[in-house]
Amino acid sequence: MMIESQGKTTEPQAAGVVLSEKARTLPSGEREFMMDVRTADLEVNMGPQHPATHGVMRILIRTDGELITGAQPHLGYLHRCAEKIGENVEWLQYLPYTDRYDYLAAMNNNLGYSMAVEAMLGEEIPRRAQMLRTICAELNRIGSHLIAFGTYGLDLGAITPFLYAFREREWMMALFEKICGARLTYSYLRIGGVFNDTPPGWLGEVEHFCDVFEEKHKEYVDLLMMNHIFVKRTADIGVIPAEMALDFGLTGPMIRGSGIDFDLRRDTPYMLYGELADAGAFDVILGSGAKGALGDCWDRFYVRVMEMIESVKIIRWCLGSIEPGPVIAPLPKVLKVPAGEAYVGIENPRGELGHFVVSDGGKVARRVRVRGPSFCNLAVLEAIMPGTLLADAVAIVGSTDVVIGETDR
Amino acid sequence: MDFEGIHGRLGAISAPGLSGADRPREADPEDKKDGGRAGDAFVQVEPGEIAAFLAACRDDAELAFDLLVDLTATDPDAQDERFWIGYQLLSTTHRHRLAIKVFVAKEGARVPTATAVYRAAQWHERECAEMFGITFVGHPDPRNILLPDDWAGHPLRKDYEFPTEYHGISCE
Repeated sequence: MMIESQGKTTEPQAAGVVLSEKARTLPSGEREFMMDVRTADLEVNMGPQHPATHGVMRILIRTDGELITGAQPHLGYLHRCAEKIGENVEWLQYLPYTDRYDYLAAMNNNLGYSMAVEAMLGEEIPRRAQMLRTICAELNRIGSHLIAFGTYGLDLGAITPFLYAFREREWMMALFEKICGARLTYSYLRIGGVFNDTPPGWLGEVEHFCDVFEEKHKEYVDLLMMNHIFVKRTADIGVIPAEMALDFGLTGPMIRGSGIDFDLRRDTPYMLYGELADAGAFDVILGSGAKGALGDCWDRFYVRVMEMIESVKIIRWCLGSIEPGPVIAPLPKVLKVPAGEAYVGIENPRGELGHFVVSDGGKVARRVRVRGPSFCNLAVLEAIMPGTLLADAVAIVGSTDVVIGETDR
Repeated sequence: MDFEGIHGRLGAISAPGLSGADRPREADPEDKKDGGRAGDAFVQVEPGEIAAFLAACRDDAELAFDLLVDLTATDPDAQDERFWIGYQLLSTTHRHRLAIKVFVAKEGARVPTATAVYRAAQWHERECAEMFGITFVGHPDPRNILLPDDWAGHPLRKDYEFPTEYHGISCE
């Protein structure tokens, strides 16, 4: 974007303002100077302390005027050595650390880790525990998607939906506070089951939450998702074709937004989800390119918003068939896991959360590997951001819905 | 397909580098020291052939492993002379998984990059390289990803020594 002066640009493009050699003399005798603006590519740091990066992440963006010509995410600002800690603490002691990678979906993280250890223990999990696990995981999925919904609106300049979303999320956190005492880092799902049974009347409160939430959800759809300005900001922006989604190993709403019909809950059933899928208790929401190209920011947002209703359906199914019983399998306090290795991937709100655990038969793991969905979902930014406008950068980053605690672990 | 089906298919298409399979087993009642092995079955692949092997897994219509879910290494023991590099594949069309394991000598560990087959490997390999000191030959962007560029040592190795200070910041 050089300023053309009489058909030819001035070389070289040094820093600051350069006086053109082609200054000409006006009829009045004055000399007229052409001023050339520096037009080299500009490198802009988005972050690490930027409200729209949803955490401490830096994206180095190269711009040519308003156009992004390159984007390079820089991670590691929140690296807390979670995998190294896993090799130094006992199996049960590691559970609270799992809360801290995707801190918006701590119940799901607890579930992923517990299931990986249980895969080696071969322990039967009581049915009531599985029911409570499913209810908590899905409630937490609603809470996590509410954050995605609210903060995405905030990124694009809509402040009100954020406040609405936090109103419902506050209720969800109060429910969790009643069941386990914590509001964010629960450690409620344990290896072998759940920590304790529900307090009296808790399941009724969850049902009440579901009733109210379904009504509120209609407001979200009208208020933000179908909002004309919002659609204009997100449709046809940041398109991820299906092949690219697969190549980059995207999972969860990112891949479903690109139209790939894949949900671990239905397709590689674990816990009660196989039963739920057979009963038709929930559907898998897919992006369809309803407002623009398939796989754009709006499609990903649509998948997250509509998935909340599917989670409500799952919770209702569980509430309808939960029965009294034990909530945790009898396991020793100091757990010894048989030698071996297991990889278990579960459907987190952001995609596949994988745990690869290796045991030598002792009290401490040999290796705990965490495959965070945000880590993989973030990598696609390098491919989709070049060629878009700087104003859309925030829309694209927001649509990946990353949690930096998980990319950096 | 289950693990046996996948393993059979890999043999049928003579996937490059396939050198064996390991399955979980019960403890041997005769041998008191043997506790068996729990968890997943995996196939074992020669380190030099891993990229070609992954391409075969991806391109075969019956396997169709279109997602590289995870790539990581394990240092089993400080005395052990080998790293394990583990690949987790997933097929969204056939809905099956495969765990692959590659044994590579710790001394000057090198393995070809899988980036040309799955771009998902790019960041996983960067993380694996900085954490274990494994060189992924042909990697397009071999910088550190989570650690600072000047970090000394490879933290997930069992022989890693914790630093006492970093740029004048005490770590003790």
